[in-house]
Amino acid sequence: MTSTRRRPAAGALARWALWAIPLGFLAYLFAYPLARILALSLRGSGFVEAFSSGRLASAAWFTAWQAVVSTVLVVLAAWPLTWAVSRFQFRGRELARALVTVPFALPTVVVGGAFLGLTGRGIQSILAAHVFYNLAVVVRTVGGIWEKLDPDLTDAAAVLGAGPWRRFRTVTLPILGPAIASAAAIVFLFCFTSFGTVLILGGGSLSTIEVEIYRQAVNFLDLPLSAALAVIQLLAVVAMLVISNRLQRRAAPFTVTESRLPAPGPRWPWVAASVLGTLGLLSLPLAGLLARSLRGGGSGWRSLSGSGVAAVEPVGAIANSLTYAAVTMIMAVVVGGCAAMLLARSRLDWFDTLLMLPLGTSAVTIGFGFLIALDRPIDLRGSWILVPLAHTLVAIPFVVRATLPVLRSIRAELREAASVLGASPSRVWREIDLPIVARALAVGAGFAAVVSLGEFGATSFVARPASATVPTLIFRLLGRPGTASFATAMALSVVLTILTAVVILAIDRFRTGQPGSF
Amino acid sequence: MLELRNITVRYGQVVALDRASLEVAAGEVMALLGPSGSGKSTLLRVVAGLEPAETGTVLFDGVDLTSVPTHLRNFGLMFQSYALFPHLTVARKIAFGLRMQDRPAGEIAARVSEVLDWVGMGGLAHRRVARLSGGEQQRVALARTLAPHPRLVMLDEPVGALDRNLRSRLVGEIRELLAREQTTGLYVTHDHEEAAAISDRVAVLRAGRIVQTAPYHEIVAQPADEWVAEFVKA
Repeated sequence: MTSTRRRPAAGALARWALWAIPLGFLAYLFAYPLARILALSLRGSGFVEAFSSGRLASAAWFTAWQAVVSTVLVVLAAWPLTWAVSRFQFRGRELARALVTVPFALPTVVVGGAFLGLTGRGIQSILAAHVFYNLAVVVRTVGGIWEKLDPDLTDAAAVLGAGPWRRFRTVTLPILGPAIASAAAIVFLFCFTSFGTVLILGGGSLSTIEVEIYRQAVNFLDLPLSAALAVIQLLAVVAMLVISNRLQRRAAPFTVTESRLPAPGPRWPWVAASVLGTLGLLSLPLAGLLARSLRGGGSGWRSLSGSGVAAVEPVGAIANSLTYAAVTMIMAVVVGGCAAMLLARSRLDWFDTLLMLPLGTSAVTIGFGFLIALDRPIDLRGSWILVPLAHTLVAIPFVVRATLPVLRSIRAELREAASVLGASPSRVWREIDLPIVARALAVGAGFAAVVSLGEFGATSFVARPASATVPTLIFRLLGRPGTASFATAMALSVVLTILTAVVILAIDRFRTGQPGSF
Repeated sequence: MLELRNITVRYGQVVALDRASLEVAAGEVMALLGPSGSGKSTLLRVVAGLEPAETGTVLFDGVDLTSVPTHLRNFGLMFQSYALFPHLTVARKIAFGLRMQDRPAGEIAARVSEVLDWVGMGGLAHRRVARLSGGEQQRVALARTLAPHPRLVMLDEPVGALDRNLRSRLVGEIRELLAREQTTGLYVTHDHEEAAAISDRVAVLRAGRIVQTAPYHEIVAQPADEWVAEFVKA
């Protein structure tokens, strides 16, 4: 007797597809465009120009310092709310945690437009927008550990004679350290690759490497220089991902105990001030957005149905965005689902990293790569399909992250039990894997829709006038003089915010009681 | 009748089963008794078809099962961890095997309520696994194993995770159920009292080898060697 199991041909085909679909997708839409960018940067005088013109140096310097300052500000600004929601149990605690996540899901052009109306162009607006956008990362990452911190630890320190500040400094902070570092690394990466916000609020004089890639390619048509900048940006991002991975691994082994949080008691004024103050500040840009969309007697809203704003009417852009979101959802679930199943059955760390790379790679680089590379084997560059393809590339990691923990939580014994009870291999998949993972896939699909609705960096390269999305139309309207187009941009931003919020609420319904990350 | 001939299983350098041979008569309950790591669970997995054997044959009623995949063997296996499907209600879990046999819905419903009554869980048909206590999970796992009328029932330390009082009561109940269905049974345990209570005969395993097969009282009276004497005395 050599083997007790026979692999049917259909099983072999399915396994082959599991490999072929995600790998083929990534090879053609990620690796190949990157290779073309690299080739382009080496062929011309891109690198020479980048280093000699001083443009790289000034963009790199601005990129780095604004990212450092933004990160420090985010950690400091997030502290009161993080403390309040992770140390105390009070009514509205869950709501506060949900509300702080809203900005994180907002499209960058919406955030950019909101701060443009609130504080104008300039570095102060860029920093404020970065804080607004990233607060949730710290509240969630650090708060997630802090709320599970065993109170016995600080109590023990108190018994040993440590005062409140000393307890915080010698017990709480060292334990939270890795979580803070890991949150800061993520925030830093987001601010480092910030594109839409800086493009809108930088006002032409302030630009990150990311914005410079876009300007050189789109405004000055200097593709070799743009390609060289993209390569440099990619190297920087990969280096940061490696470092942040190390930090996360260090954060992992800390074990926590589940404990009930106390009521605020006499500290309630501090808790209330932290929660209401933070949420109040966060609501300012959004309130401003709504107010500005209503200015001029609601002309912004009326113009949504009108024409003459751009090549595509606002209604057409909304229809485009919804279509692309639907297409992105389907493609991301198929490709991401295959990849997750592959990763769940075998530990392929390299493949996991490969899948996460598009998320780390700047969206601008992805869009730029599409534009210069996808003329072969058939010329896709004029097609609308490029837009949802780019969105799918960015959305796949979200689908994988949403489904992989659930798939990995299915113990081999469940499949074996089903098999013993008479389920064939394909039936096991249908009866066990699929129902358990279906909710997680729905959550992943929701994330994909959110990504697609708000994506701006790659879309700004690949969308044609006829395939303009809501974010690209908002950007174009913001760049025009006159209050009329500004009001239209604000009205479109409100629409986009509502669409995003609807999807997020739908995701939350599916999420309850699921293991997972993000 | 179940027949194992010279089964050998190796994990790398470790020999999990070493030329194990065993015969279990129809309707007989055989206990597999041995310390942890002696190969008891591996033996069940080979019989279920979940683990390929390096050499040897598994026969049931004279038919070689080597090329019969797990899902076509119509055996029952109760996992030590129960392996209950988290997404199904109690009734759906128990119906799973019958559904795989494409039985009509009415028959499935009748059998499920019959089996639920046996294990004393009639009122809990629509609960999900998260709301079940350890003892209740054990009963559901047992009911799921018995429901599809398996030709052979294998139980891998079925009461190992429960406290002592519950354990002796449940062992009695399992014995009764196996007798009622006249099922052939393989019962893995490391507890010799349990083995004595449940089985017609006991196979003692040591480091992948079956060292003695006999009714429990005979093993105690005439142990095959000093190690067996020590083990059943402990």
